[in-house]
Amino acid sequence: MTKRTLLRVAACAVTASLVLTACRGNDSGSGGEAGSGITDEACPNAVNADNGCIYLGAISDLTKGPFAPLAVPITDAQKAFWEKVNEDGGVGGYDISLEENIADAEYNPEIHNRKYQEMRDDILALAQTLGSSQTLAILEDMKSDDVIGVPASWNSAWEFEDQILESGANYCFEAMNGVDWAVENRGATNKVVAVGYPGDYGGDAAAGVEVAAKANEMEFVKVETPNGADNQTGAIQQILGEQADLVFVSTGPAEMATIVGGLAQNGFKGTVVGSSPTWNPALLGSAAAPALQALYFQAGPWGPFGTDTPGHQAMRDALGPDVKPNDGYTSGWAWSYPLLAALEAAAEMDGGISRENLVKAAGELEEVDYEGMLPNEAGASNGEPNEVAFRESVISRVDPSAPSGVSIEQDFTAGPTASDYDFSEPCFSLQ
Amino acid sequence: MEAFVQSVVNGLGQGSIYALLALGYVMIYKATHVISFAQPALMIAGGLYAYHFTKVFELPFWVGMVLAVLAGALTGMIVERLALRPMIGKPVFTLAIITIGIDIVLRIFANRYIGVQSKIVTYPNGTKRYELFGITISQQRLGLIAVTIVTVVALALFFRYTRAGLAMRATALDQETAMAQGIRVGVIFALAWAIAGGLAAIAGTFVAAGTAGIDQATWIIALKALPAIIIGGLDSVPGAVVGGLAVGVIEALTASYQPDVAPWLGNNFSLVAPYALMFLVLLIRPYGLFGTKEVERV
Repeated sequence: MTKRTLLRVAACAVTASLVLTACRGNDSGSGGEAGSGITDEACPNAVNADNGCIYLGAISDLTKGPFAPLAVPITDAQKAFWEKVNEDGGVGGYDISLEENIADAEYNPEIHNRKYQEMRDDILALAQTLGSSQTLAILEDMKSDDVIGVPASWNSAWEFEDQILESGANYCFEAMNGVDWAVENRGATNKVVAVGYPGDYGGDAAAGVEVAAKANEMEFVKVETPNGADNQTGAIQQILGEQADLVFVSTGPAEMATIVGGLAQNGFKGTVVGSSPTWNPALLGSAAAPALQALYFQAGPWGPFGTDTPGHQAMRDALGPDVKPNDGYTSGWAWSYPLLAALEAAAEMDGGISRENLVKAAGELEEVDYEGMLPNEAGASNGEPNEVAFRESVISRVDPSAPSGVSIEQDFTAGPTASDYDFSEPCFSLQ
Repeated sequence: MEAFVQSVVNGLGQGSIYALLALGYVMIYKATHVISFAQPALMIAGGLYAYHFTKVFELPFWVGMVLAVLAGALTGMIVERLALRPMIGKPVFTLAIITIGIDIVLRIFANRYIGVQSKIVTYPNGTKRYELFGITISQQRLGLIAVTIVTVVALALFFRYTRAGLAMRATALDQETAMAQGIRVGVIFALAWAIAGGLAAIAGTFVAAGTAGIDQATWIIALKALPAIIIGGLDSVPGAVVGGLAVGVIEALTASYQPDVAPWLGNNFSLVAPYALMFLVLLIRPYGLFGTKEVERV
């Protein structure tokens, strides 16, 4: 055998061994003895070395999607939340690990599904699944896997899904409350335009706006607008053409700022209320800042970053003094409480923490201790949506002196429209 | 009528950005006969330079913009020297594909700088509004239109009265003859890329000074300059300006009137309107409104 032949054989052997190694997969993963996503072995870098480990997953929008400025702090706050749980001793003899299974789906349902397939055997539950249609893309798989998920969205359809553990008023109630508030406090009486992304998020909010417009005897116009700040000319011109006195926006922050800035440039004098995800404090540095201060209000599911509750304080303490305040942190932290409550409830059941018990526990929550960020009854999941759905929103105004650029204008309130609404089906069907 | 004029004014503002970008495309095409798909990345780079100079180094807006233009020009020259000069003589198609690669590479670096928070440049008194006969325009838009006018006039003077401008025109006409006359064609290529980089930086600075600033998806704006150069003519400087402004105005007018006049075209037809106009122009004048008609012996 010549030297060259020997080299070829050696190269083939090395290549084959690498391929076989790759095909064998990761057998040191987190699917351990105790069940999928839960092991008796300690977590990597465990706080409590004697505890087992529960692996949670997060599928987020961490780089280039429209909600990345919010999703990164959401994810960071959730990491801090579970780290604090570990520091407090863990849950049922287990520490929680989120770091091992965090994926960026770029706000793309197809990538979202792919990322779920990659982690589905390794996690007990999803601590975050960002986006409505994105979550819908994995919902059937979650059901077949007995995996519950915390949505980083507020779609009204989640109230009707047993394995989705939502918190706070949904987009639909939020929009109703926003319209009712503007009618009562800003003198909006004539016409309301709901402008938002096509599909679930914008659709759910627009459905709420339409119901509230009818209840307040206002004209209603729906304008769908695409993603991208440079694509808002059509929406701006349509709103101006309608001569509305109230605009409800359900887009990303950049699109909202472009719309509000464009309206102000053209002399719009009415009121703009935005869904919770429309705000980003970085907008205070934009050319639209004066327009936002004059025209824009945010309808949100809870108080902003600087709110004085034990939950907000715990969040601020856990994140430390160096973070730039952003309500992505607030949401990531608040969303995590029901999952903690479900884990604690599952730990008390026969068989302890498992996927099956977690699904059961998540559907039987009578209340959740949000440490004041939300009323405890907002966490109830043990009844029909019409009975247990939380309907109160917080209205905030732009306030450059507030930590996250907004401060509360009206605390938790359910307007007359949301209070009377028959919530027997989702406002906007995701199917 | 007031609404119509207001739409036109709004469109001229946005169209100025397209015109500046289109001028960059035309500069490179005239010198090298290559359509540069790297303009989006050069625009983003220019906007980020302006952000860095004004926000990190805290320089005044106009100083930051001038430095961003110089940095953008330098970036254009470096790109030309490293990636395109070695490929002189290769098919134009190959060079165009290389510019796509350049665009991707530059945007990877830019995205790392941008991160998840958009980078916003503050224009001094940008929201101050002026009103005349019921038509309003912000100081920022006025500044953008003024800068575009100054840039276009400066370019025209450069081509008309400077030796370098004359050399560029000669190179655009016939590279081999230009070389025979002692013109260093490589230097002219570098100059074309430098001008394109500088123009993209002006556009990028004003994009960054907009309401949403620059995020990882902002580069798409630069693609709207493509219908502008097709409409105006690939090798025409006045064509780039007219094409850019036409795209901005047609976009604004369609956004204002299409929902009422032709609702059957659906939502957001204004985004498609520039391409529809481009299609129409191509049917009537395949070389664009001001493009040089190509004569081939067959």
